[in-house]
Amino acid sequence: MIIDIFTFSGRLHPLIVHLPIGFILLAALFDLLSYTKKYRYLKQSVPFILLIGFIAAVLACIFGYVLSLSGDYDTETLTHHKISGITLAAICGLLYISSTPLLKKTLGMADKLFSLLLLGLVVLMSYSGHQGASLTHGNDYLTFRALMQQERKKPATVEQAILFEDVIQPILQKKCVQCHRDGKQKGELSVESLIALKKGGKSGPAVVAGKPDASELFRRIILDEDHKDFMPADGKPPLTKNEVKLIAWWIKEGKAEAGKTIAGMKNTNALKPMVALFLGMGGSTDSEQNDGEPDQQINPDLPLTIDTSSLANLKNKGIRVRVMLNKPVMLDVTLPPKSGIKMADIKGHILKLAKNIVWLNFSDNQLTDQEISFLPELKNLEKLRLDKNPITDQVSNYLISLKHLEAINLNETNITDGAILTLKKNSGIKRLYSWKTKTTASINN
Amino acid sequence: MADHHHHEEEFRLNNPDFERLNQRLDRRDFLTKTSMGIGALALGSLFGNKLMGNAPRPAISNATGDMEQEILKALPHFAPKAKRVVYLFMSGGPSQLETFDYKPALVNMMGQNLPESIRKGQRLTGMSANQSALPVVPSYYKFNQHGQNQTWISELLPHTAKVIDDLCIVKSMHSEAINHDPAITFFQTGNQLPGRPSIGSWLSYGLGSDNENLPTFIVLVSKNGQKDQPLYARLWGNGFLPSKHQGVQFGSGKDPVLFLNNPEGYDGADRKEMLDYLSKLNQIQNSTYGDPEVDARIAQYEMAYRMQTSVPEVMSVADEPEEIFELYGPDSKDPGTYAANCLLARKLLEKDVKFVQLYHQGWDQHGSLPSGIAGQCKATDQGTAALITDLKRRGLLEDTLVIWGGEFGRTVYSQGKLTANDYGRDHHPRCFTMWMAGAGVKPGISFGETDDFSYNIVKDPVHVHDFQATLLHLMGIDHERLTYKFQGRRFRLTDVEGKIVKGILA
Repeated sequence: MIIDIFTFSGRLHPLIVHLPIGFILLAALFDLLSYTKKYRYLKQSVPFILLIGFIAAVLACIFGYVLSLSGDYDTETLTHHKISGITLAAICGLLYISSTPLLKKTLGMADKLFSLLLLGLVVLMSYSGHQGASLTHGNDYLTFRALMQQERKKPATVEQAILFEDVIQPILQKKCVQCHRDGKQKGELSVESLIALKKGGKSGPAVVAGKPDASELFRRIILDEDHKDFMPADGKPPLTKNEVKLIAWWIKEGKAEAGKTIAGMKNTNALKPMVALFLGMGGSTDSEQNDGEPDQQINPDLPLTIDTSSLANLKNKGIRVRVMLNKPVMLDVTLPPKSGIKMADIKGHILKLAKNIVWLNFSDNQLTDQEISFLPELKNLEKLRLDKNPITDQVSNYLISLKHLEAINLNETNITDGAILTLKKNSGIKRLYSWKTKTTASINN
Repeated sequence: MADHHHHEEEFRLNNPDFERLNQRLDRRDFLTKTSMGIGALALGSLFGNKLMGNAPRPAISNATGDMEQEILKALPHFAPKAKRVVYLFMSGGPSQLETFDYKPALVNMMGQNLPESIRKGQRLTGMSANQSALPVVPSYYKFNQHGQNQTWISELLPHTAKVIDDLCIVKSMHSEAINHDPAITFFQTGNQLPGRPSIGSWLSYGLGSDNENLPTFIVLVSKNGQKDQPLYARLWGNGFLPSKHQGVQFGSGKDPVLFLNNPEGYDGADRKEMLDYLSKLNQIQNSTYGDPEVDARIAQYEMAYRMQTSVPEVMSVADEPEEIFELYGPDSKDPGTYAANCLLARKLLEKDVKFVQLYHQGWDQHGSLPSGIAGQCKATDQGTAALITDLKRRGLLEDTLVIWGGEFGRTVYSQGKLTANDYGRDHHPRCFTMWMAGAGVKPGISFGETDDFSYNIVKDPVHVHDFQATLLHLMGIDHERLTYKFQGRRFRLTDVEGKIVKGILA
């Protein structure tokens, strides 16, 4: 089990809490309605509804207390919520007692006063409920600001991106704001605005223009993960290396300013690839998972998606398809040797996957030039094996336009030097295998 | 076959001995159909999948959905450079001083004691720790320069010298273990103690198979290496990974895989049918006892069946032209020798076997090193170079990674008596040479440097875990993310270490 039964019952609080809400609202509604002639009889049910409302409220308090022990909440809001919740339960209980026939006589409370108190209870309940919702959803969940705020559109190019607004702030939003926001300021720090960042928290300003070393925020994100000052704390996902680099650049070169586009800044050569990576431009994304690995050059033309039905069809026909990367989707397709599979049967599917295919192996399948005339469509092809097929020089014409093509295997085919001369026109081709052919030339001379 | 076996819906064993099994089935059926059926549904939605353990997820009905899942699950963390690996393991610890790590200055120091400033109190094995002196000894064999970069290489390796432009030589390998078994276990499994999965098993587990008719991980041990140190099957074992990922050792005799041929008088026509029923029996067994070994057994039976056709085909060298045997050398006609195994390795790689590992023993030259190492080089040099040449001209070096190396190096000082033409060398984990070739590594370079004694590394050290991390990287795997949870902890090949050796990546 991931959590113990104690914690689990705590998590039932948000469920149970709606019972007293319903009951108390119902009690108030009945009480008000009983002033009309038609519903007068509802008056007598009010004490009972208050009783079950009280019981439910006590239960909600108990579960709520258990939940609060998990300690994930902003203490100030939590205290308000706790006190108002307990008070609510107490008042509800008192109102019930005061409305029982016995006490009603002794106290002699006027009906109108009772109704007024009941309405007060509803108001108190609304307040407590709002506090509770703030704990769960955040302080700005139900504010007018949330209504007015506009989401920034993702910039179309790196040049157009505004460094703070489009890059730095989203990083902070993603990694820091859960604990450091207006209303829940751990260490008295909020990262929700540049002003708040410069003001800083308990340990001084979070950012100091031009000085990453003096910036408390930067100091803490580059510490060893085991260090007690390391941020984000409590094992929350750390910033990726790229994100750290971006923040470093922003503080140092960008002077920790807001509102400047990349185009409007100086010496941005080192910055641009980082921004592109962060904004997911150019085929790859700055996922948590790719972090820290040697940078890989990925062809930006590779599609991020794939025609899955064609892939399934190819596999069903006995073609071996290996996923080399899933974002973007790169495929290594192999027609098993001597497969007997007819090209006409699979061509359509291959063409639908044309841009995804990076490595292709048609080795030893009795293929003719005509059958593979669709090769120019495979624009992202890097490695191609056509060895042991009765193909001729004609095939070289299919391959001139493939600008990513790097290695071709034409061993044991019917090609001659003519093919090599043609292929030399494609300067991207670095290796050409022509063992056991009539050729004498090589691609390199 | 008897007819009564042919109804599909109920497959029961009508034998009193199986009564208990049948009863269990009934109870399980009952539970599945009643309480669990509805109960599990309700509980499942209440607790979510995680609390209910690994409850099987609802099958995705359409093929497209399956494919999407498959693509997302696909492991390569980044685009791989290599598709297959052939690892030529020189067991025993070949001396770097007589092969790749040229130290001309040693000639003038012959017989002098190893300076303490070099040894720095490093531990020695029990075999030479009690020697009164540690006399430095240069290579008995000459070195010559070869290739475009004029790389120095021993005269013992004339064939390797011809392919030097394809090799990426790492002279700064270092290990932690000083004795054979821990050192080789460390190299193959990432830990000196037995029990962890080997490199090939991790690759099989992480990347699956590219040819379902052959094992993903095949091991060949040469018969012509001197069996001075044992090789235990755990070096290609699966450790705690599912058993189907273990390396399959092909024998060096007439039958590479024993009992693969049908017994005499049996034509094998109904073999498939027999295996299908056997598989059903095993599945009943499995659903009752839930033993993962049963899964492995089912997979092995099926693999063995497919290997009945695939293995004789791939193991036969009858179709190879004479020119091939000339390339691999005279040994290559004698099955089970290193050269023959090199040829076999090429054929297996051609069939897209993902990980082929050759072991050649006999490099443990504590004494009589000059004659011993000459014999070892002669037995392996031509086959190794031929494999490179053959893979290269076939275009297979494009996406195949070739690795050559042992578990550690040897000392610069002589173990035992030093004479003009005889000496020995003890184990030395602080530096030794390995090389790689092919997919994803820079050809024709030397990486890392040792000091004048080939005793300490002075530039770019490469730890065994770094090598493993780099190997996985070339296959598209992030060594920090290929993990397997076992006994409450996530394990990986490189444990908690390993840095990719970027300097050798092409």
